[in-house]
Amino acid sequence: MLLELKNIFKWVNSGGQRIFLLKDINLSVEEGEFISIMGPSGSGKSTLLNVIGMLDQFNEGEYFFFDESVHALKEKHRSNLYKEYIGFVFQAYHLLDDLTVYENLEMPLLYKKYKGAERKAMVADMLDRFNIVGKKDLFPAQLSGGQQQLVGVARALIGKPKLILADEPTGNLNSKQGEEIMELFKQLNQEGVTIIQVTHSEKNAEYGSRIINLLDGRKV
Amino acid sequence: MFKQNIVLYLRNIHKHKTTFLINLVGLSSGLACVLLVYLWVSDELAMDKFHEHDEQLYQVRRNVVNGDGTLATFTSNSSLMLPALQQEVPEVEMAVAVYEFGNDAQLETAEKKLSSLGICASEDFFNLFSYPLIKGNAKTILSDVNSVVISMELAQNLFGELSQAVGQTMVIKKNGLGIKDVFTITGIFEIPKNSSENFDFVLPFKTFLKFRNPSYINWYSNSSSMYALLAPNTNISTFNQKMGDFVTKRAKFAYPEPVFFSRYSDNYLRGNYENGKQTGGRITYVILFSIVAVFVLSIACINFMNLSTARATRRLKEVGVKKAIGAKRKSLVVQFLFESVLLSFFSLACAVLLVMLLLPWFNTVASKELAFAIEGKMLFTLFFVALLTGLVAGSYPALYLTKFSAVNVLKGKINNSLGELLARKGLVIFQFSISILLIVAVGVIYMQLDYLQSKNLGYDKDNVIIFEITDGLNDKIDVFLEQAKQLSGVTNATYMQGGMTNFSNSSRGHSWPGQTEESKNITFRHAHVGPEFIETMGIELKEGRTYINEKPNNESKIILNETAVEVMGLENPIGTVINMRGPNREVIGVVKDFNIQSLYNEISPMALLCRTEWISNLVVKIKAGEEKNTIASLEKLYNEFNPGLAFDFSFLDHQYQKLYQSEQRVSTLSKYFAAMAIIISCLGLFGLAAFSAERRRKEIGIRKVLGQTTSQVTFMLSSEFIKLVLIAIMFTLPVAYLLASNWLSQFAYKISLHAGYFLITGVLAIAVALLTVGSQAINAANKNPVHALKDE
Repeated sequence: MLLELKNIFKWVNSGGQRIFLLKDINLSVEEGEFISIMGPSGSGKSTLLNVIGMLDQFNEGEYFFFDESVHALKEKHRSNLYKEYIGFVFQAYHLLDDLTVYENLEMPLLYKKYKGAERKAMVADMLDRFNIVGKKDLFPAQLSGGQQQLVGVARALIGKPKLILADEPTGNLNSKQGEEIMELFKQLNQEGVTIIQVTHSEKNAEYGSRIINLLDGRKV
Repeated sequence: MFKQNIVLYLRNIHKHKTTFLINLVGLSSGLACVLLVYLWVSDELAMDKFHEHDEQLYQVRRNVVNGDGTLATFTSNSSLMLPALQQEVPEVEMAVAVYEFGNDAQLETAEKKLSSLGICASEDFFNLFSYPLIKGNAKTILSDVNSVVISMELAQNLFGELSQAVGQTMVIKKNGLGIKDVFTITGIFEIPKNSSENFDFVLPFKTFLKFRNPSYINWYSNSSSMYALLAPNTNISTFNQKMGDFVTKRAKFAYPEPVFFSRYSDNYLRGNYENGKQTGGRITYVILFSIVAVFVLSIACINFMNLSTARATRRLKEVGVKKAIGAKRKSLVVQFLFESVLLSFFSLACAVLLVMLLLPWFNTVASKELAFAIEGKMLFTLFFVALLTGLVAGSYPALYLTKFSAVNVLKGKINNSLGELLARKGLVIFQFSISILLIVAVGVIYMQLDYLQSKNLGYDKDNVIIFEITDGLNDKIDVFLEQAKQLSGVTNATYMQGGMTNFSNSSRGHSWPGQTEESKNITFRHAHVGPEFIETMGIELKEGRTYINEKPNNESKIILNETAVEVMGLENPIGTVINMRGPNREVIGVVKDFNIQSLYNEISPMALLCRTEWISNLVVKIKAGEEKNTIASLEKLYNEFNPGLAFDFSFLDHQYQKLYQSEQRVSTLSKYFAAMAIIISCLGLFGLAAFSAERRRKEIGIRKVLGQTTSQVTFMLSSEFIKLVLIAIMFTLPVAYLLASNWLSQFAYKISLHAGYFLITGVLAIAVALLTVGSQAINAANKNPVHALKDE
């Protein structure tokens, strides 16, 4: 088992009222799964993804990641945990504009304290694999949206994560570019990477092995 | 990671050049201010500290009761104090007496003749003080009554080479004191740069005593300064208590004259005494300028903080992504601090260049010989200041920018919190408060000085030259004056004791008809002057007559000023016979009050005596517009009487200006500091306005689409900042008013502070701020709203 959520609640207080963002979510994910989270706007998809990615806290419930109880971990351990095992792909790519493709790819490795030579090899490997060696010295603004997202995925993968979390990875792309990214995800999944994606598109959701539907913070 | 951070930072600079330049210019000028002031302050603080026994070195001071019951503190003491200190006070390990000549002693060697500044000092002078001796033995150089020790400059001037000077002889003459003898050079000394004292030669104190009129050698005649080396670990306050009656028990005074010992090296910075208590002195300016420099630097730091947090949204994405990828807050804080420290070191490099460029100018303004060498302690100071500046400036942005969670940042859910907005506004208010304060300071100092320079002094200081009565003139003053008056361009000429800027003599214990008990102890200033003094100086006569056509040294006449008549309570002064500086003097005239000191002081009661004793200067009034020719012919005449001697004269109005030299310096320096502060503040405001315009692009677009006019938008954008300046004005002007009236209160004659003046300062501040912000606002308001809205 890769991770397990048990009775997860998350809420915010607004004007004396408690508004639930997540309500009693139970979910277990095995290694090698490809899960799509679907639901209308405001149903809690991204919140759930962020909770899984440990970027966001929850108010109640238990969360186990590789049998570590995340809810009981200190911030530092939590950050070590996700740094080690989780890669993020964002809808808006979130590459750093002032860094080149090469430098953007290198950045996560810096925080994992890899040696210079190792970093070089890993980045070169990734550039090779994604066929973007020729673009390594370009800045994000010089790339198309599809290419930027390619770099985004490559950046998420470079630390060899067990789990990739993608928040509408094709949301800003045209259909052809989107298809390419989804094919890439499928391929990665076949190589053994667990993927959880949030999507609006039925078609993209089909790439996954399992679909979770959310409505008003609740699994349906 | 280090390397990547640098790369990221450099690209950031490249992308946001304006912000970088604003920060660089601000921090460099701030650091340059701090460096210059640091140089100046460390020089001031090191003054007179080079003496080896500095810790134990003390000067004797004496408190004397004034007529009004307050205490005046003097450094002059009776020459009899020297043996008394040496023999009777166990705590005194060494004592030295010094008599100061003034700068009109005449030196004559076979080849040269010049006037120079000398002192007489007792034997241990060079043991007590650590003026380096280039030639001669400190123990013996002053033991012979006909020995003289000269300065390196004088030796070079007189003999060319130092090695030839020792053993040479020269004639030294000093009028008034009556010294005229041949002296043998026994040593050469050097005056270090950080010495507040300056003298060209030293004669033995014995010589002074030898020529001194024996009737003046008593406990009532105070002519010499006393210095003492106190035993280590002497408790100075107990010691001073014990020494209080040292003079009083030896002499019978109407009022006791307590003596006390003060640290010698304190004289320079804390040499002012008021009513017997030490009240500071130059230390005020040292503190003042240190504060101002730190203020200027902090204004620059505030710019950095404001601009960094204001454009946070730009940097926040980086923070969010990095956090999502696994960066810890600590590493991000370090990254931002590193950036600000880097900027600070860039600025330091610029500041160092700036200081090197500005130092000659600064030396002129501050009248110093500061040197800027980057080595040792200075290097450490530079490094430390830059590091501190970087950390202070970077701390707030670093902590602020890294506090957001990755999710919120990446979703763009960052709202400027109320606290943060308040902090930024507060900082802008603080900046402008300081700038306004400095503008007020500059204005008030300038106007007061202008007032002092142009105030009617009661005499006409223009076109009057004054020069010393040199040896060649000594017995022929009348002849010289007679011939001088014949020169075309000379209106009048006379002689006087001392100068117009300071009548140094005072006395009390006089009597007159109708004197009351309280007025018995009034101190009068008096001067010996020539017959045509009142005419030459353009002093107005109130009643009676002047000394014109009077033969000098007629001991039965006296002229008083208005204040004297008033305090004496004389109703019909003319013809009254009083006892003042001699019995039975008839008051022949009363002159209107005229100022003889700096205008810190009120006019004192004063008497003018037509006498030739103690006179030291000749005064010549010249027709306006004929200065150059007249001075040339005066010089020719002077040289007939003093062959080979340079005609060394000064203009009275220059002498007068010198009274306010330190105020002039403060005025000039504060002018530049104020300009600096306002420019840096405006740079910051400019940056903030530019940013605000950018941040509100969409809002402006929507407003314009909905029908707001360009001028309304401009007003809206400008008023955001003008409000802050207005608040700063409201806070600062009352403070400025208090500070200004406090500063002015030390002057007896001062400008009155009008509300209008403060209003002008306020308007000026707003105008400058409007100019800065307005261009940005107009620019933003004129943009086509379509572009602004399309982006989203």
